[in-house]
Order: sequence, then C-alpha cells, then structure tokens
Amino acid sequence: MMTTTCSRRKFLGAMGAAAGAYLVRPVMPLARAVPASRVAVGTCREYGPQVTATLARMFDQLGGLEGLVRGKTVAIKLNLTGDATGRLGYLPAEITHWVHPQVIGATVQLLGQAGARRIRLLESPMSTSEPLEEFMLQANWEPRDFSSAAPQVEFENTNYLGYGRKYSRFWVPEGGLMFKGYDLNHSYEDCDVFVSLAKLKEHVTAGVTLSMKNCFGVTPCTIYGDGSPVDEASLTPRGGRGPFHEGNRLPSKSAPPPVNNALTSKDPGYRVPRVVADLVSARPVHLAVIDGIHSMAGGEGPWCDNVRHVQPGLLVAGTNCVATDAVCTALMGFDPMADRGTPPFETCDSTLRLAEQLGVGTRDLSQIEVLGTPIASARFNFRHA
Amino acid sequence: MMVDRNWVPMKWPCGPLGIARRNKSGSIDNDVKGTLEAWVRPSALELLKDTPINCLIVDWADGGPEDSAQQQALKPLLEAGRRLGISFVGKFPPKESVSAAVPAARAAGLSAVICEDASAQSSDLPAIRQFPRDKAEWKNASTIFCTTENVWPGLNLQTMNGDTALAGPTGIPWVNSNAWFSLLARELTPGNILWLDFDPPAALNLLHPAAYALAVADSYAYGSRWIISLDDKLRAALPKGNSQAKAVWERLCEAVAFFENHKEWQAFKSQGILAIISDFRGDNAYLGGEVLNLLNRRQVQFRIMERVKSQPALEGLKAILWLDNEKPSAEQHAALLAFVERGGLVIAAAYWGDPAVTPTKKDPSLRYRLYNVGKGQIAVAEEAFQDPYQVAVDTHLLVSRRNDLVRLYNPETTNCHSSGESVSPHKGKRLVQVLNFSSEPASYVTLWVSGKVQSARFRQFGAAEAHTLAGRPASPGTEFDLPPLSVYCALEFEGTNL
Repeated sequence: MMTTTCSRRKFLGAMGAAAGAYLVRPVMPLARAVPASRVAVGTCREYGPQVTATLARMFDQLGGLEGLVRGKTVAIKLNLTGDATGRLGYLPAEITHWVHPQVIGATVQLLGQAGARRIRLLESPMSTSEPLEEFMLQANWEPRDFSSAAPQVEFENTNYLGYGRKYSRFWVPEGGLMFKGYDLNHSYEDCDVFVSLAKLKEHVTAGVTLSMKNCFGVTPCTIYGDGSPVDEASLTPRGGRGPFHEGNRLPSKSAPPPVNNALTSKDPGYRVPRVVADLVSARPVHLAVIDGIHSMAGGEGPWCDNVRHVQPGLLVAGTNCVATDAVCTALMGFDPMADRGTPPFETCDSTLRLAEQLGVGTRDLSQIEVLGTPIASARFNFRHA
Repeated sequence: MMVDRNWVPMKWPCGPLGIARRNKSGSIDNDVKGTLEAWVRPSALELLKDTPINCLIVDWADGGPEDSAQQQALKPLLEAGRRLGISFVGKFPPKESVSAAVPAARAAGLSAVICEDASAQSSDLPAIRQFPRDKAEWKNASTIFCTTENVWPGLNLQTMNGDTALAGPTGIPWVNSNAWFSLLARELTPGNILWLDFDPPAALNLLHPAAYALAVADSYAYGSRWIISLDDKLRAALPKGNSQAKAVWERLCEAVAFFENHKEWQAFKSQGILAIISDFRGDNAYLGGEVLNLLNRRQVQFRIMERVKSQPALEGLKAILWLDNEKPSAEQHAALLAFVERGGLVIAAAYWGDPAVTPTKKDPSLRYRLYNVGKGQIAVAEEAFQDPYQVAVDTHLLVSRRNDLVRLYNPETTNCHSSGESVSPHKGKRLVQVLNFSSEPASYVTLWVSGKVQSARFRQFGAAEAHTLAGRPASPGTEFDLPPLSVYCALEFEGTNL
C-alpha cells in the first residue's frame, strides 16, 4: 500500500525526531529554523467505508504508521468540544463541530493494524468528570464501535485526575509564552505516541481550531477551570477555562506559575494562542489527523453566532502539527503566514506563528511537502461557503 | 354525593370574604375590588362558556364576621352555576373546623369542601383533603386531594440574568416544576387525583400566554391537575375585553381542553428501567423529593416504589436505587438479591449483601464500591447519600446512558416524560410529552427515543388533529426533529419495535 513520494525511512526519521524532541528537547532560540514536514490531504466527500480507505492511503503517503506505533501505547486526543447535547440546528455534533466517530473508528482501526499495543481515547468533556464513554453515549455514539476496532482500546476523561495518582507536569521548553508549564492528566505522559484528532473549523477566539487548538482541551478544569480552587486542584472540574481565556484569575497554585506577561493581557486573542503554542511545545503531537469531511464555518461550535454547516469533503494528516495546521489553514482559504489583523486572525495572534517560533514546526508552505490532493484543487473557502 | 373525578377546577375568588381578605393583606386596589364584586354575580360565569372548566373553588368560610355575608352573596352564583352544570367546592381556611359549617354548605348546594380538617372526611359532604406539600398524609388522601406550597412552573427567576437563563450544575437552566411531586403522588396514592394549588406570580404586566399553558401542562402531563388560578391583572382585564387578556385565557383553556380530550393518557404508567425505592416520608422526604426532581430534570425516566410494600414489582427493571434510610426487610432483601443475581443493579448507601464479596471500582469519578453478585452488581456509595444532585448524577451514570429511554438534543429549557400503557416502553402504546419551561419557543429540539420506530403521531395545543412526524434512525433508537415548541407537544408511538 505504500504509494509515494516519501520513503518509509524518511518518515520514521521524522517521527523519531519528533518523539525524541519530547524527551530531550534542547533549549532553542525563538524563530529558529524548523525541519521540513509532510502533510497528506485526502478528499472524501462523505462519511462511510471510504473514510478508512482514504486515511489508510494518507498514512501510507506519510510513510506508514507501523514504525510510529508498533508495540506502543497511543493516546488520541479527540475534539468533542462543548456539551454532548448541543447541536447546530438539527445536525448531530459530529456533522458540525465534533470529530466524526467514523474518523475516530478508522484511525483506531488503522493504528491497531499497524501494531499499536494499546490505544487510549482521551477528551476533557465540558465541566464533568463522568466517564468518557458516558459522554459519548449522550451524543448517541456507541463506544463499543471504538473498542472493537482494535485489540486494546481504553477511554479516559482527562478533565480531572482520572485514573492517575497525581497530575503529570509538562514544562514548556524556552520557559513558555503564558505559563512555564502545565499540569495534565497522567494519560498525556503515560503514552508513547500522542495523536491529535481534530476537526477542520474556524475559531472565534483563535482564528482556526485544528490539531493544535484541539490540545487546549488537554488541560484539566480541576486546575484551569473557572471554579478550580485557589490552592489545589478540585476533585471534579467546574466551568470553562476562564483563567486561560480572560486571565480573570489564576489557575490553582499547585500548577506551574504564569510567565510575567501572562498577568498583563486580558485579551483572549493574545492569551489563547499562546497557551496552545505552549501546550504543543510541552506535549508534542506525533500525528495530527483532521476531519474536514463535514464541519461548520464561522466558529467552533453551535454556541457561536453566525455559524453554518459546511462540507469541505477533506481529510488531512501529518506528523507535524504546525505544518498540518498550516496546510489546513490554506485549505480553508486563508494564508497560514497571516497574523493578527488578517483573516482568519482578525482579532488574535496566530497560533501557527507562535508555535513556529517555539520551534514546533513550520507554517511555511514552501517548506511543507503536501502529498495526495494538492491544496489548490482541494481548497474550500470557509468565508465564502 | 361523591366527588367527580372529571372535575376541572378553577379558583373563583369573589364576594365579601375575598374583599375582606385582600383588605387585610393590603393587596387590594379598585381593579381587584371591582373584580371580586363582579365575579360573585351570575353573569361572570359567561367567562366559562365553551370551556372545559366545570368546577369552581369558592371561599366559603373564614371563621370571621364576613362568612355569613359571603354565603348569602354566593347563593345566586351557585344557583346559576348549577343550571350550567358547574359544580362548586367550598374552601375553608387551613385551621378551620369544617363540621359546623357543613350543613349550611350542603344546603347552599356546594358539591364538596376543600379543607385540612381531617374530620371533614367523615361528614356527609364530600371532602377534598388539603395538605401542605411537605406534610402530605398520603394514607389519608381523599379520592381527590389537594396540596399547597407547590411551585409556579417555569424558569427559575433566581437563576435568570435578564432574559438569559443561567445554567445550573447540570449545565442546563434550572426550572421550577411540580412534575416529580405529581409522579410521587400517583405512586403513593394510586387511583386518587392530585389537585395542585398554586397561584401565578405577582407581575407588573399580564403574564405571557405560555405561562398559564405551562402551568396546565406541567400538571396534566404528570397525572395531576392544576386548580386554575388567574392573577389580578388578568381577572381585571378579561371583562374589559382586553385582547391580550383574551388571548391568554384562550391559550389556557385550549391547553386544558387538549388534555381533557386525551383523558386516556392519565391512566398511562410512568416508564423506566430504574426504580426509586423509599417511603418518601419524614427523614426520607427531602432527599427522596430532590432526587426525583433532579433525575426528572436529567430526563431520566424512573418508576417510584414505596418501600413499605413488601414485594415490589421488579419486572422490567434493570436498576434500583434504594434511597430509604432503613435497610430492606428480610423479604425485600431476598427479592433485591434475587434481582441482582439475575443481572440487576442495586444502588444503595450501605452494603447488605454477602460480606465475603470483595468490592471493585468501576470508574474513578464514581465514588462507589461495586460488589459483583451473580450476574449483577450492588453499587454502594463510599459516603452516605447527602447531596441529592450527586446522587442523581451518579445514579444516571451507574445505570448508564446506554439505558436511556428518551433524550433531548438542544434541550435548553425543555424536559420530557415517557409513559404508556405498560411500564415497559416496548409494549403497547407509548407517549412522550415534551414541555418547554420558557416563554420563548424552543427551537431545533430533537427528541431521541429508544427503539426503532418509523414515525410518531405528533400533537400540540390548538391542533385538532395529530400529524405524522417521521423518525430518523439513530441507533439504537430513533430521532424526531421537533418543530418550534411553544409550550408542549406529545408524540404517540404504537408498534412492536418501540
């Protein structure tokens, strides 16, 4: 099944570099040069059996999953934002703002086939510590569809301590743009490979939400929530992530402190992209997969004004989250090199630029090898849809 | 003489007693006084023409000097009403002894009395016992009985920020509803009819038409009846031909007529695979009531079982929440263990199974120890049941949403109730009623029901005929996209694959 413009050796080399960076990332100056990356783009008009085939082809274009996941524990951060009963009109969440279960199932299946020893599905459902399976059931999903797709599939709600005995601390190389480090559920440490499985969407605060912004949701609201205690994490999550968004208060003191400028700006358009860049720097993404078959334009969820359903018919995957999100941004009709004041970053800083400055990856399309469908022929303009 | 189970009751404040009472409370103005004087005249009954309202609740005695004048003033009204087929029920104040006044009441043509006085039940004039809600004497309830201290249904005004409903801990707006209490009354006094006594909130302007229709729906949909009670503004505006007042009145009557035209629904049983067992009295009353209320708000469908019944009917159940402070009797213990052995789940605050069984833990978020017994489990709270909200949440999760019978998407201010000919949703006719607790229509609400059905008969207030609403398969159930919902709608299902 290997197609391609990219050899398996090259692919594995890139993967190894990414995984190693997590463990022993050296101190790097900002705005340093970043390695070239590969991103696969697949067209897939509808959900169905073709999703698995398309993703399989894309993963092969990237060099195959086996070298990355064989014998490994793979953690997949899903994008299930908002509550489980909110819909855009009558449309189920997976048709608009949640990654679709068929994309999840196909990814799990392909990871399993590639030899992943254990696959863990993770998400931090809004303001609840209920089991992730129950959250899915509320959306009328069947968790067994995922657990039957590969040999060992587990679920964990990461919005609180969960099955861990303590929170795992992730320091941001370079010291961080907003916080020096972040305390996360153990699941983000107890894995060999980290996958961000996201939706192709605009975002009211951050311009776009793709594989990087998806990682905003790794933070537990027991510490970073509106209702988290001053000193220590709460047992259950309370509220949204106001401390990140508006800086109206600090996270619990048990977590790493903010950097100095984090205290000055109350602008969510300044704060949120920096938190996201921090997070993907501290907890690197090894594989980014983005569901853009059906989605919504105008915002990240049905709670946003002037949002509408769109059908870009796209799947995107890459081994570098900045490069993958840059390609997605271009596919959405935007310039990934754009910054504050220019669409889609009219009122915010570009997470792509910030992450690039932290050395996570490149947003420069000239340095990204796009495999599969070319951007020009797959582009779906979100603002004109 | 007997009470009539078909009575549709309405408060009819009027006459000298009403004026004296309002004078005493300082809540009278010219409009109120004028209405109280006008409503004692037979001509006021014109308002009831072509409505289903057939029973008026009048103040009969207050133990004061105006009693005699009141009873004299009511005579023409009672005579005119009787000719129109309207029954009258005399209301007595809570502490008043009724027996002395019964002869006069009977002679005047009252059909029954409403009072707290237990001795009235032994008089030869039918009595409708009245209780404060938290002091309901379930065993002494009359065929029709009445409770006070109920809530006016709707969004909880204390959780409103202007026009925006603030979310409660459930993430959905808090609402006031008497639903749980109506369901409890149905179980604890089977065959009897609960009349809910509550008045509209004082308001500067006329209440929204939906507010009155909701008061009707929140009662009827759960098997009880609201003693219709109009606010001062509405009562004053109606005789003046105020078009807005007329619209409110018509919406109210339309809602009552709707339910009266579907009386068979009143006999439908609450459906659910979860049973809540308690005696719901004394120390168990608060926790029991709150848990019922919060489970209902989560759209969890349940059956209420009274603890004192030695052999609860457990057929069709998958889970039991033992909410009573007292442990099960030996007989109940045996029945519950047999239920667990067969694969059932019992949720309790204390373990009373085989001490040799070692507990396990299912999920770190659920603070329960799980004892595997036979094919089933006993889930025991690590701490005593204290917070009703947490008990409701944990119960829902322990039972699992996999066992939901209904679910709403974009639920916001709505809630729903599943009932049917059978306690099982998979047998006979099934009815799901959806209520909107906001005065603003609920849009883009989708109802999910367990089971595979092609379509439902969809009914709303004001529509004489049902229309067919097509379902959309949403395994393992079916989804129905509801049109904008003003106050209420009902979906009827019939078939073998429910």
